[in-house]
Amino acid sequence: MEILNTKKKYDAIIVGSGAAGGMATKILSDAGLNIALIEAGPYFDPADPKQQTQLKWTWESPRRGSSVTRRFGDFHMSYGDWKVDGEPYSSKEDTNFMWWRSRMLGGRTNHWGRIASRLGPKDFKCKDSYGIDQNWPISYEDIKPYYDKLDRLIGVFGTKENLPNDPDGFFLPPPKPRLHELYYIKGAKKAGINVIPSRLSVLTKRINNERGLCFYCGQCERSCSVYGDFSASSCYVIPSLKGGFVDLYTDSMVREITTDKNGRATGISYINKKNGKEYKLESKLVILGASSCSSARILLNSKSSAHPNGLGNSSGLIGKYLQDTVGTSKQIFIPELMNRETYNEDGVGGAHVYTPWWLHDKKLDFPLGYHIETSYRNLGMPQFGVGGYIPNDFNKFFGLRVGGYGDQIRKDVKKYWGSTISLETRGGALPNVNNYCEIDNDKKDKFGIPVLKFKYNWSDSELKQAKHAQDTYEELAYNMDGIILGDKPGKDQNYGISTPGSIIHEVGTTRMGDNPNTSVVDKYERLHDVDNVYVVDAGPFVFKGDKNPTWTIMALAWRTSEHIISELKKQNI
Amino acid sequence: MKRRDSIKTILLSAIGTSITLESCITPEGENIANKVWEYQYGRTAYEKSRDEKFLNSVFFNDNELSTIERIANIIVPPNEFGDIKDAGVVEMIEFIAKDWSTPAHNNYGENVLRKGLTVLDELFQKEFGKTILECSEDEIKTVFDKISYQDNISDELSEAASFFATYRYFVVTGWFTSEVGMKDLGYKGNIPNVWDGVPDEVLKKHSVSYDDEWISKCVDQSKRNETAKWDEDGNLLT
Repeated sequence: MEILNTKKKYDAIIVGSGAAGGMATKILSDAGLNIALIEAGPYFDPADPKQQTQLKWTWESPRRGSSVTRRFGDFHMSYGDWKVDGEPYSSKEDTNFMWWRSRMLGGRTNHWGRIASRLGPKDFKCKDSYGIDQNWPISYEDIKPYYDKLDRLIGVFGTKENLPNDPDGFFLPPPKPRLHELYYIKGAKKAGINVIPSRLSVLTKRINNERGLCFYCGQCERSCSVYGDFSASSCYVIPSLKGGFVDLYTDSMVREITTDKNGRATGISYINKKNGKEYKLESKLVILGASSCSSARILLNSKSSAHPNGLGNSSGLIGKYLQDTVGTSKQIFIPELMNRETYNEDGVGGAHVYTPWWLHDKKLDFPLGYHIETSYRNLGMPQFGVGGYIPNDFNKFFGLRVGGYGDQIRKDVKKYWGSTISLETRGGALPNVNNYCEIDNDKKDKFGIPVLKFKYNWSDSELKQAKHAQDTYEELAYNMDGIILGDKPGKDQNYGISTPGSIIHEVGTTRMGDNPNTSVVDKYERLHDVDNVYVVDAGPFVFKGDKNPTWTIMALAWRTSEHIISELKKQNI
Repeated sequence: MKRRDSIKTILLSAIGTSITLESCITPEGENIANKVWEYQYGRTAYEKSRDEKFLNSVFFNDNELSTIERIANIIVPPNEFGDIKDAGVVEMIEFIAKDWSTPAHNNYGENVLRKGLTVLDELFQKEFGKTILECSEDEIKTVFDKISYQDNISDELSEAASFFATYRYFVVTGWFTSEVGMKDLGYKGNIPNVWDGVPDEVLKKHSVSYDDEWISKCVDQSKRNETAKWDEDGNLLT
């Protein structure tokens, strides 16, 4: 499967095997194009028992799953997190951007929350709707057919709700709510806040004979060994490899896109991580799906006399308009959920219910809304830290002594197990030219490739959104008869807003638009400057609202892939 | 029993016990760890080598290990589900002492776990003129009563109290993340199943119910194996 060097000239080189690169690989190889798929990490198959963490018990790890080598614990399926050995990055001027990288076949789709939301019509018309400097050059209607196809190909459960900016799709039926989710529904309704079934890419019903059905272990973040959830590895790349049109290069770190004297792409150069040597591959076109910031980095590092500022960067905008989702979180203790009867409530690997943004018509002092996600492992498998540092800290709410040891402390752990609901808001960020990544001229990674430096500040708009979220938590807690844990973060704590990058939704950096002076790619995700280079990850996003980006990455990548096939047929590339 | 199975049995009864493993299965003394790790939890090569290194090295001496076991048995005493040994708590702490002995963890094994034992032992020396291991259970409880509650800790005992809380955290974690501890807690999951909602008696007890309209949209688990088909408006037909 692994090829160290080849004289072969490919139709297309695809960089990155996650949501974006995986999607393009599937569509283009199904159409008979010869593909070289380049992945910086190792081969990964969720069905491989040697790699599998699904259904492992906490005690099968000598550290009981604690997060020493994997940021979210031993069983989490991401090779690499906000830190990757030998591949540093930094942030400028007291800002902090956290950059996640999953170095493995399928990338972040192996660990993601499977939240498969569509952008809504208002999100595409973001200038008209929210006063952002540009609309997307495409509308919801342009991309809707691809969302629809995705739903049917990959599977997503949900319900038709006819909401103004959270479009419905071709849904599988959702699972019934868990107990704490019923408390959330009850409390939210009292507070006038809408709750609907979640929309997750998990197979609650059969969609084909190649993939297994969800068996409700609640571990999607470990990647499903029967392919009951969507990963680009299991659903796109691994099946595509069987078709004979794809050569997969794993452990291969792309340095740059190579160009001819006219500045057209001729292929890529990459470093084979196993032997440290550099190789070149040739192709008719290059498709970047390495993640917004990785693709920007490759383009910026691809300098030539034709492209002195980096490939496709005549606008100077590559790396600019970087956005991450705005996040806040809060825990609420629900005394009525104490002393729970236990039963298997693992469910799917995500919440069964959520709150889409519900205040479209209300005048607020900030433009962009948020949705609310709830915790789901309330009766989940105990992990390292179960019970917390002080297992009976909640005793203080009842005037009981806090601390102790012996049978009493053990009873207290059982008493409070499953009685806390965590809520998280996920909101839109304003595209901002001053939030960006750029090449750090002073630093290289262990492969000798110049690395990224970030600058990212939240604006007043996002802070006000976070402030609103904190008020919402209070309202929800009150209506759930719950007790908010921890102090309410005020202005001095930026209302508890997340560190940029920590929600792992990097989008922007190679903005889509019709005008080459104000955007990097056109509406088919092709560089304005070079006609045989495409960017199919979340880089082209103008704006994403409060939506999780994966479904839109794939819908766009599918649309772009069809465009590429048609251009090749017309011999335009 | 096949060699492979015997290793598995040992592992399941006591995870990560380098000493036990060495003494039980080293007649040939060859690559035990490699064989042992066939049963493990999806490690990368790097992670595996890291685990093996720690499983094959020693951090606490016998006296310290016995002290941890003694403390642990009082923090979480044996019950019908098992005891601290069954839960592998000491082995977990031994492993974590090495696992967290990095600059990033500020050399946690030495600075917190070992130092904690020293501080606690000094307290017992002061109180009774003997080590924890030499004290009776009642003597140990007399001291734990003074350092384990948040509300009455004197300044001079605050350091010991903080180390006690740390050990309590590890012991409680070790207990409830073990096979016996999960039984004690009543955790019922991590097995393939078909979720069809909260049991009726639980709903009743909590005075909550499923909304009919909501439930009518949820999956009919008897039809989950029928391949999904939709009409052109996205209405599910199967």
